[in-house]
Amino acid sequence: MSRGEHLGEFEQIVLLAVARLGRDGYGVTVRQEIQERTGRAVAVGAVYATLDRLEGKGLVASFEGQPTSERGGRARRHFHLLPAGARALDASRRMLAAMWDGVELA
Amino acid sequence: MSRPGRAAWLWLVAWAAPRRLRAAILGDLEEEWRQRAERLGHATADAWLRGQALRSLRPLLSIRSARTADTRHPSSPARRTAVMGNFLQDLRFTGRLLGRAPAFVLLVVLTIGLGIAANTVVFSVVDGVVLNPFPFPEPDRLVGVGSAYPRIGEELGFWENLSPAEFVDVRDGARTLERVVAWDMGHRQVSVEGRSENLFSAFWWGDAFPTLGVTPVEGRGFSAVELEEGARVAILSHRVWTERFGADPSLVGAPIHVNGEPYTLVGVMPRRTLIYGTDLWLPMPIAPEAYARDRRQFQLLARLAPGATLQDVNAELDVLARRVEGLHGPEIPSYEGWAMRAMTWTDVNVRTMRLAAFILLGAVGFVLLLVCTNVAGLLLGRAAGRRRELAVRMALGAGRGRIVRQLLTESVALAVIGGVVGVGLGWVGVGAVTAAMSTMAIPIPGEVSMSGRVLAFSALVALGAGLLFGILPALQAVRSDVRGTLQAEGATHTGSRGRLRVQRLLVAVEVAVALVLLTGGGLLIHSFLRVRAVDPGFRAENVLTMRLTLARERYPAERMEPFFRELADRVAQLPGVSGSAVASQLPPNVFTRQTFQVEGMAPRSQEDLPSAFTTIASPDYFETLGIPLVRGRTLARSDVEDGPPVAVVNQAAADRWFPGVDPVGRRLAVGGEQWFEVVGVVGNTRNTGAEAAPAPEIFASTRQLPRSWNQLFLLVRTRGAPYGVLGGVRDVVRSLDPEQPVYAIRTIEEAYAESQAQRRVATTALTLFGGFALLLAALGIYAVASQAVAQRTREIGLRVALGARRGQVLRLVVRQSLLPVLLGGLAGVAGALMVGSFLRGLLFEVGSVDGPTLGTVVLLLAGVAFLACWIPARRAARLDPMTALEAGR
Repeated sequence: MSRGEHLGEFEQIVLLAVARLGRDGYGVTVRQEIQERTGRAVAVGAVYATLDRLEGKGLVASFEGQPTSERGGRARRHFHLLPAGARALDASRRMLAAMWDGVELA
Repeated sequence: MSRPGRAAWLWLVAWAAPRRLRAAILGDLEEEWRQRAERLGHATADAWLRGQALRSLRPLLSIRSARTADTRHPSSPARRTAVMGNFLQDLRFTGRLLGRAPAFVLLVVLTIGLGIAANTVVFSVVDGVVLNPFPFPEPDRLVGVGSAYPRIGEELGFWENLSPAEFVDVRDGARTLERVVAWDMGHRQVSVEGRSENLFSAFWWGDAFPTLGVTPVEGRGFSAVELEEGARVAILSHRVWTERFGADPSLVGAPIHVNGEPYTLVGVMPRRTLIYGTDLWLPMPIAPEAYARDRRQFQLLARLAPGATLQDVNAELDVLARRVEGLHGPEIPSYEGWAMRAMTWTDVNVRTMRLAAFILLGAVGFVLLLVCTNVAGLLLGRAAGRRRELAVRMALGAGRGRIVRQLLTESVALAVIGGVVGVGLGWVGVGAVTAAMSTMAIPIPGEVSMSGRVLAFSALVALGAGLLFGILPALQAVRSDVRGTLQAEGATHTGSRGRLRVQRLLVAVEVAVALVLLTGGGLLIHSFLRVRAVDPGFRAENVLTMRLTLARERYPAERMEPFFRELADRVAQLPGVSGSAVASQLPPNVFTRQTFQVEGMAPRSQEDLPSAFTTIASPDYFETLGIPLVRGRTLARSDVEDGPPVAVVNQAAADRWFPGVDPVGRRLAVGGEQWFEVVGVVGNTRNTGAEAAPAPEIFASTRQLPRSWNQLFLLVRTRGAPYGVLGGVRDVVRSLDPEQPVYAIRTIEEAYAESQAQRRVATTALTLFGGFALLLAALGIYAVASQAVAQRTREIGLRVALGARRGQVLRLVVRQSLLPVLLGGLAGVAGALMVGSFLRGLLFEVGSVDGPTLGTVVLLLAGVAFLACWIPARRAARLDPMTALEAGR
C-alpha cells in the first residue's frame, strides 16, 4: 500500500461511521454516530472535509437525496462505503492488530 | 441569537464550503439545529451552531478536491481555497509577527488611530455645523435676503434688515424668487396648562413650511386664511415641545396662552427647524402696509425659482433696489446706494463659523499628511530590519508576489486596526465635542454625528494608507538582491542608503508640517492671551445677568418701571448680593443704536445725524458693574420723570463729539425729540466685545423713561459664586409675579467667553493638532536616528576601537540626523510665514508674521528634534566596541 492510501485516525472513524450506518449515512447521522460512540464533538466541516477526501480516494461514494423542509429545502448527501473503503478499513485493522500483537501495557 | 444572527453564521459556512457540498452542509446544520432547538431551546441550539460554524471554517477551507486540483484555474474551488488558505496564513503570520513587536504595533496603530480620529471629529463637526446644519431639502436653493445701507453706515446684514414694504417689493417684484416669506421676532410668554415659558418667537407673513420644504411633525401648519387674518394659532419648535412639554401629542389642538391671550396650538415643527432660534411661530397680526417704509426689523426667506441661480437673483435684486431708490430716495435718504443681496440660508447662518471651519479642515488635513509620512517611515524602518528574514524566505522558494502580499497584508492589517481604533476614538471625540458645543452657544441648530459619509471617508483613508505604506517597503524588499543580503556581513549596511534617504525626506516633511501647525497654533494662542488680557473697563467677574420681558397685555406702561425698580431693590437685599440694577443692554452685547443731535452743532440733514449706542439703565447700573466715573455725576435716584432729563456719556462718546470741551452741561436730543442734559462722563467698557474698540454709548435713566422698555436685563453683583444667588433671585421674581419667567441666565464673564467661541474652537484645535504634529515629528526623527545608529553599529564600533572619542560619535550621529530637520525647518518657516495671513481674521493685536511666536516655535521644535536624536546618539556613543563589532555576525 502506497503512502497516500494509509488511513488517518479520523479517516478511519468517519469510514467506520459510514460503514455502521449503511443506507442511513449522511452528514448529521455520521456526525452523531461519531459523537455517540467516541464522545468527540466533531465539527460538521471536519466531517465533510474528510468525507470529501475519502470520496476523492475512491473509498466512499455519495449521491444527493430529496430536498426536505426541515432542512430549509436542501437535499441530503448520502454516503456509502465502497469495496475499496472496506478493504482499506480491513487493512488498517490488520495493521493495528499486528502492532498490538503481544503488547502488554502496564 | 436572532434569526439574522443564525443567517450570518450559516452564511459564513456557505462562504467557506465548496459549492458541491454547500447545500448538504447547510441542510445538515439546519436540520440538527432544529432538533436541538426543540429539545434544548433556541439559545443552546444557537450556541451549538456558532461553535459548529467556527470550527468548520478551517477544515472546509482546506478541502482540496482530488478531481479539481488545478489551482491555476481562477474559478476552481481549489484555486479559491488556495488563495484563502494563503490569506489566512498571511493573517496568522501577521498576527504572530506583530505580536512579537507590540511597541511598534502600538505606535503605528495609535498614530493612524489618532489621525483618523482627528479627521473624523473635524469632518463630523464641519459637516454638521457648517456644511450641512439644516434639515431642509435642497439647501443651496433656500436663500435669505440681506441688505446694506451705505448712506447710514449699515453694512450687509441679514438680521432685522428689511422693512415690510421692501418685503412686498421683493415678493411681488422678483421673478427669480418664489415662496418669499418674511418674519419679525420678539419674546412671548407662553402658558400651557399652568406652565409658563418665555420663548423667542417669529411672526410670519406667508407660509414658511413650503419655503423651508418641511412639514410639521405633529398637527398642521398655518392655513392661508390664518396667515391672512393674523389668527390666534401657534406652532411650537420640536425642541421646546420635547424638552419642556414632554413631547405630549395631546398639546396639539389644546388652548394655550400667549402673553395672556388665548391661542390654539396647531402644530409642532420638525426637529432642527430653527429659524434664528425661534421656538414659537405665530401669524403676523398686522398687514405689511401698516408699517412705515423704513421700519427695518424683518427678515426674508425664499426659494430660488426653477432655473434661476443666485447670480440671477442678485442681478434682479439690484434692479429692484435701483427702482425703489428712484421712487422713494427723495423722502428716505437711506435708500441712496442701498443694495439687497441673496445668500443661501446656510451661508447666512454660518458665515461667521466658516473661517474656523476651514482652518480646522486645513489643519486636520496636515495632520493626516503627517500621519501618513510617519507611518510610512515606521514601516520602511521595519522592512529594513527584516531584509534578512525576507531574503531567507525568498531563497527558500517564496515567490516575490507571495512576499509582497505578506507585507501588504501586514500593513493593511495595521491600517485596519488603526482605522477601527480611530473610528472608536472619533466616536468618543464627537460625543465630547457635541457636549462642549452645547455649552458654547454656537448659533446653529446643527447636529454633530458620525455620518456614513464620514465613516466611509475614514475607512477609505485607513485602507488607502495601509496600501500606500505597504507598497513601498514591499517593493523595496523584493527588489533587493537575495544573495547579496544574505552574504553581507554587516547584515544591513548594503543597499540601505536609498531607504534612509527616503526616510530623511519624510522627516523633513514632518518637521515642515509640524512647524506650520505649531506656528498657526502659536499665533492663535498669542492672540487669545491678548484678548484675555483686554481690560473690559469694569469688574466683569461675579456678575449674574438674566432677562425679563413683561407681557404688554398684563403690564400696562405705568406698571413696568415700578416692577423693575422693586425687583432690583429686593434682589440687592439678598444675602451674598452686593448690588443690583436693570438695563436695556449690557457689555459685551450692546446693540441698540439711535441717532441724536448735539445742541449747538449745526443741524445738518437728517441722514447725517450722529448715532450712538443708547442704553436705558437704572441709577445703580454704574456702581453695580464697577464702571468708573470720569467727570460730573452718574444717574441719580432723584432724576425722575418730572425732573429735567439727564444723560451720561462714556469717554468714547465724549472724545468723539466733544473733543477738547467738557460735555457736562451740554444737551443732546436722542431720537430727535427730547433734550437731555449731559451730567457726567463714565469710563469706557468693551461694550461690543473684548476684541472691538469701546464704542460711543449714551445712558439715560429708567426712571425718566419709565414707559419705554418692557424688556430689561437684571444685573446682580455677587460676593461669591454668581450662580449661588440664582435661587434667591428666582424667589424674589416669583414673589412679585408668580407667572413671570426669567431667561438668558448667564454671567458677564460667560457672555465674553461666548463671543469668543470661534476663536476658542480654532485655538484649542490648532494647538492640539500642533502638539500632535510635534509628537509625530519627534517620533519620526527618533526612528530615523535610531535606525541610522543601528545600521552603523559596526562602523561606530570600529571608530571607537580606533580611538574616536564619545563626543565625536555623539556629534556625528546628531549632525547626520539633524540635517533633514534643518531642511524641513526651512521649508516650514516659509509655510509658517504664509499661515499667518490665512489666519488673519482670527488674529488680535498680533501680526500675521509674529517674531516671538515663530521664534518660540522654532526653538521648541529644535529642542525636541535635538532630544529625539540625542537619545539614540548617546546609545551609539556608549557602545562597547567589542559588542558593536560582533553585531550582526
